Amino acid sequence: MPARFIRKLLELWGSHREGVEFSYLMQITFWGVRGSYPVPGAATVRYGGQTSCVEARSASGEIVIVDAGTGMRQLGNKLARELGGVAGNFHVLLSHVHWDHIQGLPFFSPVYMPGTRISVYALLTAADELNQVIGGITRHEFFPMPLEAVPAHFDFQKVEPGVDFVIGSFHVIPIALNHPFGSVGYRIDGDGSSWAYVSDTAPFDQVLHKQHFLSGPEPLSADDLTALGAMREALVARLRGVDTVVYDTHFLPDEYSRFPHYGHSTPDQALVICKEAGIRRLVLYHHAPSHTDEMMDRIAADYLAKGATMGIEVLTSYEGMTLPIGPEAT
Amino acid sequence: MKLRFWGVRGSFAMPGREFLRYGGNTTSIEIVTNVGQRLLVDLGTGATEYAKHLMGSEFGKGQGLLPILLSHTHLDHIQGLPFFTPFFIKGNEIQIMGANPSSGLSLESTLQNQLAPHYSPLNGLENLAAGVTIESFTPGVTITLPGYEVVTAAVPHGNMWTTAFRVIADDKVITIITDVEYPRPDEPLAVAIDLARDADLLVHDAMHADHDYELRRGWGHSPARAGVSLAERAGAKKLALFHHSPDATDEMIDELVERTASRTSVQVFAAAEGSYLDV
Repeated sequence: MPARFIRKLLELWGSHREGVEFSYLMQITFWGVRGSYPVPGAATVRYGGQTSCVEARSASGEIVIVDAGTGMRQLGNKLARELGGVAGNFHVLLSHVHWDHIQGLPFFSPVYMPGTRISVYALLTAADELNQVIGGITRHEFFPMPLEAVPAHFDFQKVEPGVDFVIGSFHVIPIALNHPFGSVGYRIDGDGSSWAYVSDTAPFDQVLHKQHFLSGPEPLSADDLTALGAMREALVARLRGVDTVVYDTHFLPDEYSRFPHYGHSTPDQALVICKEAGIRRLVLYHHAPSHTDEMMDRIAADYLAKGATMGIEVLTSYEGMTLPIGPEAT
Repeated sequence: MKLRFWGVRGSFAMPGREFLRYGGNTTSIEIVTNVGQRLLVDLGTGATEYAKHLMGSEFGKGQGLLPILLSHTHLDHIQGLPFFTPFFIKGNEIQIMGANPSSGLSLESTLQNQLAPHYSPLNGLENLAAGVTIESFTPGVTITLPGYEVVTAAVPHGNMWTTAFRVIADDKVITIITDVEYPRPDEPLAVAIDLARDADLLVHDAMHADHDYELRRGWGHSPARAGVSLAERAGAKKLALFHHSPDATDEMIDELVERTASRTSVQVFAAAEGSYLDV
């Protein structure tokens, strides 16, 4: 059966309905789509208010989790139900360690199940060791139980941009991104297909994020411009041939122009990168906390239309959305 | 004196349809005197909503003055700090007060750790444009603020202590005791009784319904009935159940209020985000 047909069929059936698992393609599920901090309330019920967390599931049921934002609590509850009391072995890829990308970890219920193993992959940006940085969020002052004391066993793996590695049947390549204190995206190949997670990142022209506080854009040196160009080129090269790209599109263009130094992109900037890399489908992600459901509806419609003129299908992520990843574009 | 709950949820912020009436934001309580002097207790995600509200006032122009009391520094009580927009406006004067955590680290170092460069692009308290002071006190002291007198006391919360507040203004008393577990929930500690004595409103940790409290004894939170016992003994007039469990949907909280209210003559309601309550 042609892959395109299978994919359409899955989309029509709604393969994400609970308890229904199809085993033809890798699929990704969005557990948190919001940036910065969780946003409860009437304005976020449809797109969701939890922060960054995406689950990728291979055809055979292997899982990798990308980012450990507040969406991870709900994912943990689901995985615990699936495992029915059996200890699991989880792999968590972190883009970076800002609060909105790690805050869900202490609320991931398998952490409290003896025998659970959790491997955390992250960029080493500071002199601090990863276990101290991640463990630091459960210090006595912040959380009742320290990471060292939980029943699950944690190990920490340092990732380096461009140095690929394997998790089960997934092949993973970290990609350097432009964000305060560093961030990585991930290209994830599996089941003859691939998707990429590109969040959080600023575009690659106006600001180069380093390891200090920016109160506004700083003048760029020739070296800075070279570094930005190289980062952009490597990103486009890594994305080439990827079916679906999940991209940090926190800002609308007018918001970006006011906060170019916050480390986030617009859908327009994502579209330019995706066009160059020949991407079939772009998924808007890491929505600003101030973007209400009504605004998100407009953003979704506007960029669906704009993407169509460029030959790119643009979807807007919402909590609970599952996408099968098409194989034919690789 | 008026009070508004901007965040009533404990532990974890809960977006979603099942949490709309009581609200999903973590703890943050605003108090305003009759002449408009403000006081904020805790900086959970509810504080981000309060921040938007403040930006429409003198805080948007850098002329705001706000004292903030922290019950403790568990994340659900400080999570809104990096996104509290009045911090980003030069000229605002914001005073954060709380006890030093029992780990031995100071309050200021703890908040610096929250804004450490790997966790937050703010990269430290010194980068907040507003004038921000962090003052630690020893629970037991009485704090005098413009328009307010606040009596403080340490209460037990699992493996640590939190600070409870008796806020006195306009000849009225609001007592806030969140994140507390007494050795026996039906026998509130004397320190809590003193703090809640004849209060016009008692805001109390009610994380658990009776049945789930039995499974979570020792975790540092109270069943709803603990607040009732305290209100009865201290002669508090009204009881607001607060710090709702992240698993408690609107219907579950409705039931909790109904069950709790049926066993006491104290007026009981569940804290909900939204409107100003006259005390």
